[in-house]
Amino acid sequence: MLLPVNTKCECGHQNAVGTVLCESCGKPLEKELLESNEPLEMRYDGVARRSQKANPDYLDKIWNFFSSVKIAIYLIIITFVGAMLGTIFPQASTFISSTFDPSVYYAEQYGLPGKIYYFLGLHRTYTSWWFITLLVMIATSLVICSIDRVLPLYRALSKQQIRKHHAFLKRQKATYSTTLAEDEAEWTKQYGQALRKKGYKVFVDESGTALLAEKNRFSRWGPYINHIGLILFLLAVLARSIPGWNVDQYVSIADGDTVPIVGTNYYVKSEGFKIELYENEELPEELKDSGRIKSFKTEVVLYECSANCNDDFEQPTLTEVHQHTILVNDPLRYKELKLHQFDFNLTPRINAVSPMVVNVQTGESYGPFHLKMVEPELHYEVGPYTLELIDKYMDFAINSEGEPITLSSSPNAPAFIFNIKGPGLAEAGEVFMYFPLEKDKVRFSQDTINRELANKVAIKVEGMENVDFSAATTHLNVRIDKAIKYLWIGAVISMIGLVMGTYWQHRRIWLRIDDQQLTLGAHTNKNWYGLRADIAYALKHCGIELDPKSLDNGGHKG
Amino acid sequence: MNWLEFSSSSLGVAFFLYVFATIFYMVAIAGKKWGKKDPKLHEARWGKIAFITSTLGLVAHLLFFFTRWIGSGQIPTSNMYEFITLLGMTIMIAYTIIYFIYKKLLLGMFALPLAIIVIAYASVFPSDVQPLVPALQSHWLKIHVTTAALGEAFFAVGFAAALMYLLRTIDFKDKTKNGKRAQRWLEFTLISILVVIGFIIAAFGFKGAGYTASFQQENASVSQLGEISTTTETVEYTMPPIFKPYNSEAIEVTPFLGMTDGLFETPSWFNGVNSGRKLNTVVWSIIVGLLLYGIIRVIIRKPLGAAIHPALEGIDPDDLDEISYRAIVIGFPIFTLGGLIFAMIWAEEAWGRFWGWDPKEVWALITWLYYSAYLHFRLSRGWQGKPSAWLAVIGFVIVLFTLVGVNLLIAGMHSYAGVE
Repeated sequence: MLLPVNTKCECGHQNAVGTVLCESCGKPLEKELLESNEPLEMRYDGVARRSQKANPDYLDKIWNFFSSVKIAIYLIIITFVGAMLGTIFPQASTFISSTFDPSVYYAEQYGLPGKIYYFLGLHRTYTSWWFITLLVMIATSLVICSIDRVLPLYRALSKQQIRKHHAFLKRQKATYSTTLAEDEAEWTKQYGQALRKKGYKVFVDESGTALLAEKNRFSRWGPYINHIGLILFLLAVLARSIPGWNVDQYVSIADGDTVPIVGTNYYVKSEGFKIELYENEELPEELKDSGRIKSFKTEVVLYECSANCNDDFEQPTLTEVHQHTILVNDPLRYKELKLHQFDFNLTPRINAVSPMVVNVQTGESYGPFHLKMVEPELHYEVGPYTLELIDKYMDFAINSEGEPITLSSSPNAPAFIFNIKGPGLAEAGEVFMYFPLEKDKVRFSQDTINRELANKVAIKVEGMENVDFSAATTHLNVRIDKAIKYLWIGAVISMIGLVMGTYWQHRRIWLRIDDQQLTLGAHTNKNWYGLRADIAYALKHCGIELDPKSLDNGGHKG
Repeated sequence: MNWLEFSSSSLGVAFFLYVFATIFYMVAIAGKKWGKKDPKLHEARWGKIAFITSTLGLVAHLLFFFTRWIGSGQIPTSNMYEFITLLGMTIMIAYTIIYFIYKKLLLGMFALPLAIIVIAYASVFPSDVQPLVPALQSHWLKIHVTTAALGEAFFAVGFAAALMYLLRTIDFKDKTKNGKRAQRWLEFTLISILVVIGFIIAAFGFKGAGYTASFQQENASVSQLGEISTTTETVEYTMPPIFKPYNSEAIEVTPFLGMTDGLFETPSWFNGVNSGRKLNTVVWSIIVGLLLYGIIRVIIRKPLGAAIHPALEGIDPDDLDEISYRAIVIGFPIFTLGGLIFAMIWAEEAWGRFWGWDPKEVWALITWLYYSAYLHFRLSRGWQGKPSAWLAVIGFVIVLFTLVGVNLLIAGMHSYAGVE
């Protein structure tokens, strides 16, 4: 295809192999192209791209593959078609539940199509090897396409010759030629002045009869800047797989609790979760009584741990570093740590009770004493009574052998076994079982368990003010994303490039006058309409009025 | 009169001004052949009248937007009604900007009807102000939704110009295989637009007639432990049930042409919330759309495309090609910013991750990749003109799917942007 040919142009310029239009005078170099009448292909000003080498070796071939815009387009198309497939059924990653089994779910929920979907691995489309490969290939293509073109283009644009070949001028998409009566140099000067008013930089050659007017060359760099931004963006995405760069976990905190954030030095305390619904008068007719949520928020305090962190026996030393009310759109941000409102649970949890000890026979009551669910005291003196805590169950139940067990460490059904000493009781004390929650008292028949002791002594909570409980549990999403700032920088660079390349256009107008014969050609990468208007404006300034549309040489005029 | 009432009257005014402007554009173009008047003068005069009318319509539309904002205390972009009316408004803004660049009258003949259809489509959805759920309470709601809509509006204008290009350039006398195929696809595109109009007619027709039907649907689901549980729910229909919900009993069905129960049952593999009702709506839209097409065919006695084609003679197809391309070029950065970057910033703030492969996100990315492929195609020779126009038409289908289809068909995190 690319034979070693003599690439020296008649103007004396030595061009690189693969050059379509002479870099200096613009004359079409291939014989076939020279003889045709079609408008010229002005992409990259017809310069040879880096990939157009005479004898490509193995590496060159890979380079050539990725340097092709056509390949880039195919990659983009395959990627978006692949992405479409991933939206047919929900992705497996949307199910957070640990019991979720995709091999069962898709077949059950969607039948045969679901089975095929799962079999093809489309339930994890966006983390599949082929999708990632496509993204990496696009990134490679971005790098290679850009390097392949930007350097030769830069070279071509920085050493433009003013006097262009006739074939070059006449075969631009916007051309004009006429015979002038005025002085050649004077006319050129006048035309240049008009274009200067339109913001063009005007260059006239030493003879004064050839002109190059150029505007907004910087916009040519837009696509490359955009691509650099995109590459940076993709690198930032890749960087998230560095360990520790992307933390994504959840913490559940009952109101009033302080819990450590695993993998960090931080502890977080919830001062309370609140949910607010819209009042009926705030809602339109069909939403009344729908319980539409107005807000949910968690007031939190963030601590940094300086000693005894994650120690099972010692209290950690905490210093408060930050306070925040977390809303759905307003996470806690402290350095790189972010806490997002994720979910909540409105099941109350009991923390402590302050019951009275009652002498059932006399009706006298003593106390109250403070009984915590977690790490309770082992010894209590209440009036004439002494209570020793023998055992406790946080989630009381009876197993199949009839033995008491605890189902979990959460205080869902707490039970306490005391040895009570006091008036009217045995010298060594008597064993008393106490269920702080009224429902458990009935469910497990506390009075039956305690038998005749139930007629002598009782432990009773009087009023809700003596119960300390957490009304809600908030679930927060803990995030650390160290790559995010690079990601935004990439996005900003990409946007700048995009705007440069789209909202400005590189316009060039060349003209030469030989023996009173004016030949004018012009090129832009976008917005020919605007370019033609500029040419016509300047022509009018020189006394030639015409319809800008007549400058069009869209391949129809020959 | 309070703000909200004033607001909804403004939208009515905008709608009618758009209709009048469309008629004036038609007079400007078609009227050139009418009499002895100077055709150029006629076109310029009526074109000016039409543009002024459409601009007044846009002013009324902006009034609608801002008075609703004031009246409700929140930017009207939070539900389907508000979003689609916003899209109509941004289409008009994009059209007006493109008009100022190119001063081509004819674009209005297609961009305005597009805006009219969009607004009519919006009014199918309930127009009440719904207070914001926590997920939407963010200033990014204002920024992300409006910029994304503006970007998409430029794609819509690019579509309108591309459709005009095709109607202008496709030769209806061409009997070759390729020529026939192009004619068929163009006709198919026009029929698709009629199906959308069919949906609007059906929705308003049955709503106006007060049609309702309701079904008791039984849903069985298998839990992960293998237990089968059934739940029943009532499904309300507003169109006669050609397809009733899967596994359902009629509770109350207003008779329609002797129908007192669903004619067919929705197949079980149609998944999703209210899939039966959605399928039924789609079927009705197609029926009404095709009926409309049939009536038009009987009247004009030739393909729709062939009937519109002569009206566009005298327009330079190169101009249309350039306008279509330029509109997309202008829209692309705006869409990138609003539809992807602002969306990522908001997602990062609300959910802690800038990207989660949620269906709406994926489709925004698909739209973006599609148009970037389009822009790269334009670089190569041979992709200007017809192929490029077809790409712009398909691109707009993808835009519509991203905006509406995803919400209707695929559940995801954007499902709060409630559709029904």
